Amino acid sequence: MAAAEAEALDFEPEDDDLMDEDFGDASPRASAPIPKLKSAITGGSGPRKTKGRGFREEGDADRDARLSSRDFDSLNADGGPGPLRSIEGWIILVTGLHEESQEDDLQNSFGEFGEIKNLHLNLDRRTGFVKGYALIEYENFEEAQAAIAQMNGTELLTQIINVDWAFSNGPSIRRRNLKKRRETRGHRSRSPTRRY
Amino acid sequence: MAHAGGGEEEEGEFYLRYYVGHKGKFGHEFLEFEFRPDGKLRYANNSNYKNDIMIRKEVWLTPAVLRECRRIISDSEIMKEDDNNWPEPDRVGRQELEIVMGNEHISFTTSKIGSLVDVQSSKDPEGLRIFYYLVQDLKCFVFSLISLHFKIKPI
Repeated sequence: MAAAEAEALDFEPEDDDLMDEDFGDASPRASAPIPKLKSAITGGSGPRKTKGRGFREEGDADRDARLSSRDFDSLNADGGPGPLRSIEGWIILVTGLHEESQEDDLQNSFGEFGEIKNLHLNLDRRTGFVKGYALIEYENFEEAQAAIAQMNGTELLTQIINVDWAFSNGPSIRRRNLKKRRETRGHRSRSPTRRY
Repeated sequence: MAHAGGGEEEEGEFYLRYYVGHKGKFGHEFLEFEFRPDGKLRYANNSNYKNDIMIRKEVWLTPAVLRECRRIISDSEIMKEDDNNWPEPDRVGRQELEIVMGNEHISFTTSKIGSLVDVQSSKDPEGLRIFYYLVQDLKCFVFSLISLHFKIKPI
């Protein structure tokens, strides 16, 4: 069937799996050869322009091992979509901030939805002005949700700001890839969602 | 910000890894973080000085956070630079910055940079300055994310 063939050709190893291929035969039933970390990054669609000494150096086993470990702490995520609670509350990200924004500006507009438990308004290290984003912590989900709903797309100091959750329960997969992944799932066994 | 919203998600794959470290009398001490294509942020900090616990944290980020990270990188114009004339990694330490954005992939290495004096006295002060400030801005972003989420104080 032509459709089935097209699907098979469309097969692409998934990035998140490839990043972790340092511990032997994770999926012995996978039909395609499993590329190593480097080709996972250089692979993908079309030719990619590379630059830098990092490509000319000897492979560094130590480097490959450092971040491929499974022993990373994380807060309990259920793997689904949707926001993830942080250890003491809910964090939202504000972007598009005017470079002369001040903490008071954010306190005034975002304090309306609940007490701001934490506010990071980081500066551009070169200019000393605001970098353009802020991270705000609320204690309750509802407060954070209301801030996102009412502040996203509004104007603050002449600029349109965007407001959204900072942390997520699972991978952020772009929609077109999601579709492709669903189609290819039948062709290989997908390792279960990892819990660290 | 010149390009809020819009077609940024169409820009294709994104990956970033930064490493700074050295091997000395306290072993291999390093800080490393990684933004993976699927949105996972991984952070590792190993200092054997006084306490020898390795801090390793990971958390999924929303597309909004990844967009902001891309924005910081795009604005820096680091992808136009080259590490050819930067100081090579040495015994004092090494830094690595690897970024995949769209169809460009950079993997830069250099020594540790103590201050702007090191930047000025290098053979490529313009390029190295971009690297120097970008790394600080990225660290600042990652430290905020990690410390707010886990309530730990990075470094």
